[in-house]
Amino acid sequence: MELKIRKSGDNYIIDVNGEMDLYNSYKLKELVMKMLEKKVERFIINLENVDYIDSSGIGALIYICSTIKKMSFKLIITNIHGSVKKVIELTKLMGYFPITNSIEEAIQQMED
Amino acid sequence: MANDTTYLSEIHEIRVDENSPLFDKTGLLYKEFPSDYRQIRYFTLLIVQSAPLEIKEINLLEQQISEVIKNAVKHGNRCKPEKKVRVWYSFDSSHAQLIVQDEGEGFKDLEKWNEFNRKRLEILSKQDYEGLADYVSFRTQKSDDNDGGNALFAALEYWNGGFVYNNKRNAVAMLKKFPQKKHAIG
Repeated sequence: MELKIRKSGDNYIIDVNGEMDLYNSYKLKELVMKMLEKKVERFIINLENVDYIDSSGIGALIYICSTIKKMSFKLIITNIHGSVKKVIELTKLMGYFPITNSIEEAIQQMED
Repeated sequence: MANDTTYLSEIHEIRVDENSPLFDKTGLLYKEFPSDYRQIRYFTLLIVQSAPLEIKEINLLEQQISEVIKNAVKHGNRCKPEKKVRVWYSFDSSHAQLIVQDEGEGFKDLEKWNEFNRKRLEILSKQDYEGLADYVSFRTQKSDDNDGGNALFAALEYWNGGFVYNNKRNAVAMLKKFPQKKHAIG
């Protein structure tokens, strides 16, 4: 799994590339925690290039989401598709995670 | 045909029933593995490779099998390589059946898990996403940071033909029924 950060206005977009599985999901968690230490407050996690997620990946997203919510900062997860969407649906977390269909929509929602 | 109550309990609870037909090993293929955490996805692929190409969402099937093998390796056998995980399995275009057995003490927190899941489903039915925050991850004293604590929620939904433990609770049998193509008549 590869993680890239880019900036759009005040938003930090994390592009996740690869599989979010039991061997590497912790990397995303660690990255977000480091960014929080550096006072980043607005996160967009882009899962466009993620075709596989397991319970560790879902667990990492839950941890990130609950940490950011507690701090009253902003998070949006975007471009969920295929089996990643299915796993989130099976876990009944579609309503729990803040989700948009595209990065543009995520940026728009950040401004609202 | 099962009555409505049985159907609901099958869907919403993990059951213990050693006599379930899902534990019938007749005609199933068999593989066994050492409890090597690093190789869980590899072991899973060795099993999934016998699934026919017609099965859609093979990624999802692989993920769901990987979760059960992970539970056996990590929570059952505590990653002790000398302890084996045994898997019996059968796939065709209409179904996937698996039995996964470890050499551990068994899933002792099964009742606690069912109780936790019952509350989770209650909260979900109210669409109380604030309250859901306390019910997104099932933790025990042995859980660590890499345990999502959510695998069995999805398993119970995915394995639509049943997800059943044996009496010792160190083996779990499961069945997925795939939707069949409807052929036009006439």
